[in-house]
Amino acid sequence: MAEARFRIRKGLAIGRSKPPADPSIRAALPTRIALIGADYPGLRPAFEVAEGDTVTRGQVLFRDRKHREVAVTAPMAGRVTGLDYGPRRTLALLTIERTAEPSETGTPNITTTRETLLASGLWPAFRTRPYGYIPGPDDHPQAIVVNAVRTNPAAPDPRLVIADALDAFAEGLRRLTELTDGPVFLAREPGAPLTAPIDGVQDATFTGTSAAGLSGTQINRLHRAGPDRQVWSIGYQDVTAIGQLFQTGTPPGDRIVAITGPLARAPALIRTRLGADLRQLAAGHITQGTPCRLLSGDATFGAEAAFLRRADDQITLAPPARPTRGWRSALTRHAAITPTARLDRALALDIHAVPLMRALAIGDTETAERLGCLELIEEDVAALTALCTSGADYPRLLREVLDQLAEEAA
Amino acid sequence: MTPLRQGGIAAVTFAQGLALVPPLAVVLANEGAPQIALLLTALIAALFWEGLFTVLRKKPVTANGLTTALIAAILVPADLPLWQLAVALSLGVILAELIFGGRGFGFLSPATVSLALLLFSFPQTVLRPITPDLALATLPGALLLLAFGLLSWRAAASFIAALFAFIALTGGPLDPAATLTAISFALIFLICDPFAAATTNPGRWLYGALAGGLALVFAGGTIPPMAALISAALFAGIVAPLIDHLVVLADAERRRRRLG
Repeated sequence: MAEARFRIRKGLAIGRSKPPADPSIRAALPTRIALIGADYPGLRPAFEVAEGDTVTRGQVLFRDRKHREVAVTAPMAGRVTGLDYGPRRTLALLTIERTAEPSETGTPNITTTRETLLASGLWPAFRTRPYGYIPGPDDHPQAIVVNAVRTNPAAPDPRLVIADALDAFAEGLRRLTELTDGPVFLAREPGAPLTAPIDGVQDATFTGTSAAGLSGTQINRLHRAGPDRQVWSIGYQDVTAIGQLFQTGTPPGDRIVAITGPLARAPALIRTRLGADLRQLAAGHITQGTPCRLLSGDATFGAEAAFLRRADDQITLAPPARPTRGWRSALTRHAAITPTARLDRALALDIHAVPLMRALAIGDTETAERLGCLELIEEDVAALTALCTSGADYPRLLREVLDQLAEEAA
Repeated sequence: MTPLRQGGIAAVTFAQGLALVPPLAVVLANEGAPQIALLLTALIAALFWEGLFTVLRKKPVTANGLTTALIAAILVPADLPLWQLAVALSLGVILAELIFGGRGFGFLSPATVSLALLLFSFPQTVLRPITPDLALATLPGALLLLAFGLLSWRAAASFIAALFAFIALTGGPLDPAATLTAISFALIFLICDPFAAATTNPGRWLYGALAGGLALVFAGGTIPPMAALISAALFAGIVAPLIDHLVVLADAERRRRRLG
């Protein structure tokens, strides 16, 4: 069966960066990791561990207050060394330090697919459209879209990473089909199929701008989400983790990332853990003697961070930002939007960019919904911030609008 | 294409100001000292009020009135009394821009409003007709603005198409070169001002067509004089937010039908 092909013409052009010369993946186990609250949008934690507790890999750290079934587990064995709350009892940061004798094996309790994923800590790998939340334990999506499209040449090659654990990936896809009555789409790059055909899984290839690699774009083309049309997205590495959980009982936590950027001595692929301390990961790769900024993500959309974000598979070692001189920072503080033609090409969805930006900037939820913001999550509007003269943080503004719309819909 | 993001609105003003330099040079070279006095008056009037507003509002000082002043200085006749220009510009930049919070927050072009006020208040004023050398001098600026995305080719193409279509429909003699020369400056710098035009792509087509139709209605001939173009830009600019609103509503309806 021929796969559906999509060529995305709108969106930011793909930047030039070199893929790692050495395609081998080295293990790099950090001594410190952290779970970041922002990776669990809408989740208010009920903690099952306290500061100072020793945890095994796969042990439940906290559960969602609203849905006790949804668990978040430790990606690495160690001791809980920090537990910071954000506003309104949300999680800010939970840090785990590796202890001397790592008892890495937890044995997950395998029952049905849904219950096992909920209890194992893999459930938060799903994000819903609309709203971009972790799905509820009883939600049934109309479709699930697996994102295996890489648009940054320096990021790990999905084909290579999947080939490394092909059986687990195929098993993960099979398990996904049990969560939905609709189709499971595998969004991938052109070329030979990644797996042998699986019942209920449809292939679709995406090429084009950097927007081709956004789950929001893929969902828009494959099965549009709406108020009564819930669709889930998940990354390909999490699908492999699902397969490994069911096949060998390995608790989730692995992440293969590329270390890249102008200050990286040689781009390299490493197998590390979710939330790994970026300074430790960068230590062996940094060009000596130059000050350096560590970004979780790529050079365009990545954010300066101390720990690896859940959605990222790339770490960028960038030179420090040039300090904005007085006159220039004064000029750019005039925060107006210039409706340029480029803004209309920034979103790959059929959404009018400038009216959306204005609605987001003033928190006009009604207009934003009318314009189609329910099909978007934060990463989809990062391109607007990159192009706008106002310097507004559209991902954050969108999050506020989506939270409010979700509250009104509930 | 270069991103304007780092320079913010100031970079937009700089690009637009740069685009206005060749036509300004042509006008100054032809008219000499009286036009230079008008230019200085325009700059002082536009920038004084902008400075006063930003200081009183404790906002960072901006100089976006630069483009307003340059456009006015190019279009006003050399024999215009300086005080008339100062009055028109003062009211124009305050009413169209500064009371909204500055460049990018209003919905009209302050240059259009200033010139419209000048024409309404002092009806004997005849704005400068665009001569072929002046039209040629606007071309490099137009290309620059196109490259920065500050000139919507959709609105421009739609304006020209609508104007020619209406001329053909009314059976008037069509002289494309003369008509294009006459409309060049106003189309590039007033009607297609990104802050005044519609901001959605379907809206830009409608906006351009509306402005083209209005230009012919006000012209009363096949070659619109500058006054007709100013009026067309003003009325189309007033309607532009409504056009965008209707486009968004139609889009929402389409989305509702498809997604239920």
